[in-house]
Amino acid sequence: MKMEEMSLSGLDNSKLEAIAQEIYADLVEDSCLGFCFEVHRAVKCGYFFLDDTDPESMKDFEIVDQPGLDIFGQVFNQWKSKECVCPNCSRSIAASRFAPHLEKCLGMGRNSSRIANRRIANSNNMNKSESDQEDNDDINDNDWSYGSEKKAKKRKSDKLWYLPFQNPNSPRRSKSLKHKNGELSNSDPFKYNNSAGISYETLGPEELRSLLTTLIFLFQQCGVISEHTKKMCTRSLRCPQHTDEQRRAVRIYFLGPSAVLPEVESSLDNDSFDMTDSQALISRLQWDGSSDLSPSDSGSSKTSENQGWGLGTNSSESRKTKKKKSHLSLVGTASSLGSNKKKKPKPPAPPTPSIYDDIN
Amino acid sequence: MCKDYVYDKDIEQIAKEEQGEALKLQASTSTEVSHQQYSMPGLGEKYPTWETTKPELELLGHNPRRRRIASSFTIGLRGLINLGNTCFMNCIVQALTHTPILRDFFLSDRHRCEMPSPELCLVCEMSSLFRELYSGNPSPHVPYKLLHLVWIHARHLAGYRQQDAHEFLIAALDVLHRHCKGDDAGKAASNPNHCNCIIDQIFTGGLQSDVTCQACHGVSTTIDPCWDISLDLPGSCTSFWPMSPGRESSVNGESHIPGITTLTDCLRRFTRPEHLGSSAKIKCGSCQSYQESTKQLTMNKLPVVACFHFKRFEHSAKQRRKITTYISFPLELDMTPFMASSKESRMNGQLQLPTNSGNDENKYSLFAVVNHQGTLESGHYTSFIRHHKDQWFKCDDAVITKASIKDVLDSEGYLLFYHKQVLEHESEKVKEVSTQAY
Repeated sequence: MKMEEMSLSGLDNSKLEAIAQEIYADLVEDSCLGFCFEVHRAVKCGYFFLDDTDPESMKDFEIVDQPGLDIFGQVFNQWKSKECVCPNCSRSIAASRFAPHLEKCLGMGRNSSRIANRRIANSNNMNKSESDQEDNDDINDNDWSYGSEKKAKKRKSDKLWYLPFQNPNSPRRSKSLKHKNGELSNSDPFKYNNSAGISYETLGPEELRSLLTTLIFLFQQCGVISEHTKKMCTRSLRCPQHTDEQRRAVRIYFLGPSAVLPEVESSLDNDSFDMTDSQALISRLQWDGSSDLSPSDSGSSKTSENQGWGLGTNSSESRKTKKKKSHLSLVGTASSLGSNKKKKPKPPAPPTPSIYDDIN
Repeated sequence: MCKDYVYDKDIEQIAKEEQGEALKLQASTSTEVSHQQYSMPGLGEKYPTWETTKPELELLGHNPRRRRIASSFTIGLRGLINLGNTCFMNCIVQALTHTPILRDFFLSDRHRCEMPSPELCLVCEMSSLFRELYSGNPSPHVPYKLLHLVWIHARHLAGYRQQDAHEFLIAALDVLHRHCKGDDAGKAASNPNHCNCIIDQIFTGGLQSDVTCQACHGVSTTIDPCWDISLDLPGSCTSFWPMSPGRESSVNGESHIPGITTLTDCLRRFTRPEHLGSSAKIKCGSCQSYQESTKQLTMNKLPVVACFHFKRFEHSAKQRRKITTYISFPLELDMTPFMASSKESRMNGQLQLPTNSGNDENKYSLFAVVNHQGTLESGHYTSFIRHHKDQWFKCDDAVITKASIKDVLDSEGYLLFYHKQVLEHESEKVKEVSTQAY
């Protein structure tokens, strides 16, 4: 259509109609052609098939809108079994309990500092060294940087063990502490229960305080050292695999001839023991991984100072020490225990972070 | 001679380039071009449709089970497991992962980690979160890594207890902002005015505070960066509401029921000139003496994503309680009356909102709402998020269900997230700077 200088007002309706129609037809034609070219191009260049989709599998993603179901068609509240791996301690934790676990794992709980301080107090008593004033909170703070954590992780791979009845997953420690009968390990969901037990290497000087607590548990657990694995049995005092004889022997070995196998029913826990004699006790544990300890060695107690263990007494301290239980890590270092006896002024090296964290 | 139309790659390439040049010439006359939401073409750039390369075609040919994401798809939605009182975190994560511009940033893999150790980078973790939430996996995600990182980097939040979602949001934005620049321990004084990280580009707005001396009428102005606007509510003992709610014309299309306070009311109150009283005299620079003054807050620079926080948790000396007053908020919000540039009309006591403003720059759309049920001491957070423009979903930790717009607008509201409808982009020069930053 030629571009004519026409004044629209001069045209009558039918002409306007015609012009409008033409414009409309042009527009429609252009858009249709455009579309055709697109399709033609797609076919020619070989990507036309891309528009095909698979309706079957598309149904998998349709949003569901029904009462009682979420948009994926799943029932509510079925996610209790979700688990995750703690980035700090690499344990598998139930997802819904991860936050409380992480709090304890990182040593941030309300009770953590209290426990840690008590531990310091204990070790202060033990070592009688004033240089041991490290603030446990600082130790815990070391956990926060991944640098030290890497070191910790390394050492963790060395024989670590936890007192199984201190389940870090349990929200209230008192719960686990109520267990007496040596039923602890059975009721504990910890996977450690299924393992053969515990092994430990040569104790470093800083392990003294942990060792004390270690020994405490002998009142709660079987403790018999397996000949094959050199590990202490963590099952209950009624463990079927070992006899009472064996249990007694282990205790005598560690605690001296006056050691008594605790009665299973009694509320005998980590009773008070005299800290000053712990050194003597520990010195007897010249223990390195290769040495062959069997229950038959029990007779040879190396020192006579073993009255420290007030077995059978239920002093008020027992309650406190009960709460003091923390998990231990015995890291393989070849420091001799004898040095502890001499009370070298050297302060103990900072204990491995994170594993020491209170799991209160 | 097949007498058919043929398509030659080389010629097409040349044509494309020439076309691009032509457009650039066209557009160079204007410095600001506004475009529709979600598309940010560069000046003079025409984004062509994606065309497959030969190897891609082959690959696609081998995989016939293709799905096209329709708006009825679940892709982009996924529940989050509650790790133990972490519902506050889950809601913020849902809101952030459904922030369109943030989603586009992370899903197009734009994050380049600057942190000394990437496993500690919260931005990398966010990136991973986006991938998880958009994976189409129906089973809820366990955000334990996120929790761990947040506790490491925001120590004041660490601990197993119920927490405030708003506090978490601000802390998370802060850590993200620091990590965008590789600032591990917050050592460098972060100067938001000079930061071009994605967080600042999206969330940082400028709050202008004008203090007017009553004696000489000199105005002293300061502009502070802000990530959110915290609004007092009627009924709190620290606030005072001079205007009866709902009296003014329904400015933002909010449900105008007399007696119901609206978000606009709250914003009006927030930006009103406030007489500071004789006990709070300010030293005036020009008068060189202490004078009474009025102070007014307005928005100097609007962020791309505006977060409004209703101060529902009252911790005053008198009482600690939660204010549960329902505040009506709109689906679309125009922030023009609350800008610094609108102060003139405000001074005259009117709230001007030109109905035909033609200026869409200050218009926002609601895309996420975080709600709190319960008391100050103990409660539960849930969120509503907008997906595919017109669909809303309720996120209650691991359970996502469809919701109606009415559900959303009737909810109490604690944190409201609005996204600018029109993204204006800056001139070429500034754009260059921003792309270099990351």
